[in-house]
Amino acid sequence: MFDLFSDIFTYRDNALTRIDPRAKLLIALAALIAVVTAERIVLPLAVLAFCLGAVAILRIPAKLVACRLAAPLSIVAVLVVIQTFVTGKTPLFAFTFAGWQFTAKAEGLRQGTLLGAHVLGAVSVVFLLSIVTPAHRIFQALRWFRISRNWLEIAILMYRYIFVLMDRVADLAAAQRLRLGYTARGRALRSFTTLAGATIIHSLEQAQRTHDAMRLRGYRGTMPFGPLPPLGRRDRLILVSCLIGIAVAYGLLEWGVSG
Amino acid sequence: MNGIWTKRRNVIRRAATVAATAGTLIALPAQAFAMHISEGILPAPWALFWYAVALPFVAWGLRDLRRRSEDLLWFKPLVGLVGAAVFLISCMPIPVPTAGTCSHPAGTGLAAILIGPGLTVVVASIALTLQALFLAHGGLTTLGANIVSMGVVGAYVGYGTYRIIRRLGLPWVMAAFLAGLLSDWATYAMTSVELAAALHGGESFSAMLTLILLAFVPTQVPLGILEGFLCAGALKFVRSRKPELLRMAAAGGAA
Repeated sequence: MFDLFSDIFTYRDNALTRIDPRAKLLIALAALIAVVTAERIVLPLAVLAFCLGAVAILRIPAKLVACRLAAPLSIVAVLVVIQTFVTGKTPLFAFTFAGWQFTAKAEGLRQGTLLGAHVLGAVSVVFLLSIVTPAHRIFQALRWFRISRNWLEIAILMYRYIFVLMDRVADLAAAQRLRLGYTARGRALRSFTTLAGATIIHSLEQAQRTHDAMRLRGYRGTMPFGPLPPLGRRDRLILVSCLIGIAVAYGLLEWGVSG
Repeated sequence: MNGIWTKRRNVIRRAATVAATAGTLIALPAQAFAMHISEGILPAPWALFWYAVALPFVAWGLRDLRRRSEDLLWFKPLVGLVGAAVFLISCMPIPVPTAGTCSHPAGTGLAAILIGPGLTVVVASIALTLQALFLAHGGLTTLGANIVSMGVVGAYVGYGTYRIIRRLGLPWVMAAFLAGLLSDWATYAMTSVELAAALHGGESFSAMLTLILLAFVPTQVPLGILEGFLCAGALKFVRSRKPELLRMAAAGGAA
């Protein structure tokens, strides 16, 4: 879990990291809307293929991609099976297992597959966004879009101190393991609650230190957000081209292809 | 009579299918993330509806934050750090014996006791955004639904339970245990309602809700109990070591 939660790849220099975060957020939003509203599987799968292609070109480790997609993939599998066997009327095939008869239905399979495609397409869009845009740039862009300053201040503090606390928690957990803190179920539960309690104590103490440090740097209750310059010509061109591309793809794949 | 029996048998059969497949498939990856509704699952109208439900609660929490941070300059760093701690606790894997895998506590009951339900909604909305962006848990399109189930319902049920039990004069350990337990179960019940409302299609809503609830039972019933122990155990640890820190955090909570 902790290995996954890193924006290290966003600091690489490539064509996608150089795009303005506001343009990337708008493009991602348009792609998400297109995927979620799609009524055929072609568009979400095309978006998935595009995003995975971009991820491959950016040379993101396959292990990271697999880890990030593992949970959504398991959800897709559950969705397809549940929808196939629970909803619909037209039987596809049936089998008996442990005395129970299970019947797969065509409508359910179609619905489950579409939902699965939605999940994979949408997850891939957010994944691509997250590996080409650092968190602080996303927060900066969100402020430009007039998202609440207080919400963003707490978000920045949380994001910053998750990593600080993560190191402390990892050390504590390692010390507990060395002292055989997780060898039996009851002991593991006690160790786990102690770890959670220690994390809270660290966070409250760190809050005091952080506040003192912020006051020394002139903090008077609000954090400054650096202003973003107007979107450059190149970014505007990329934004408009991508939005047109998504609209055209939506039109072609949703309405333009018969069947 | 025969018709009723056939209907019941069908429901049991469907429930068995869903429980068996969900249990097996959720156990496939190393860790289960049952309570986040994944990106793309909700149709657009439902995604917008849950955003509309969540936004007033987030706005209320932000108003609360602004009011308190005007008086106490250290309040925002405190909320941010408690949020970071709860985020980490919610990422810690705990073994679920019945599923044979690891799952994660929600942590909203604990957060609500520490900093209050309004601020817990704000913290949960940020944690869910970060998880959607950087961990592929939950999603941006399902953020509203996840805020309602994990933030709003989890926080208010946990906080309400803690306050009611304390008012009844019962020990705080029991109050904390039940706050953790009920906030977890309430979160899972609300997630089931959200999923059933969006996915029931031509089937009846109640039948789909029953199926989803049954599918979650193997992981969420023991996980809720573990979350109760976590909530009570963590608070006990802090109270015994640094009670003055809890008083500081209680500027917004119930501890």
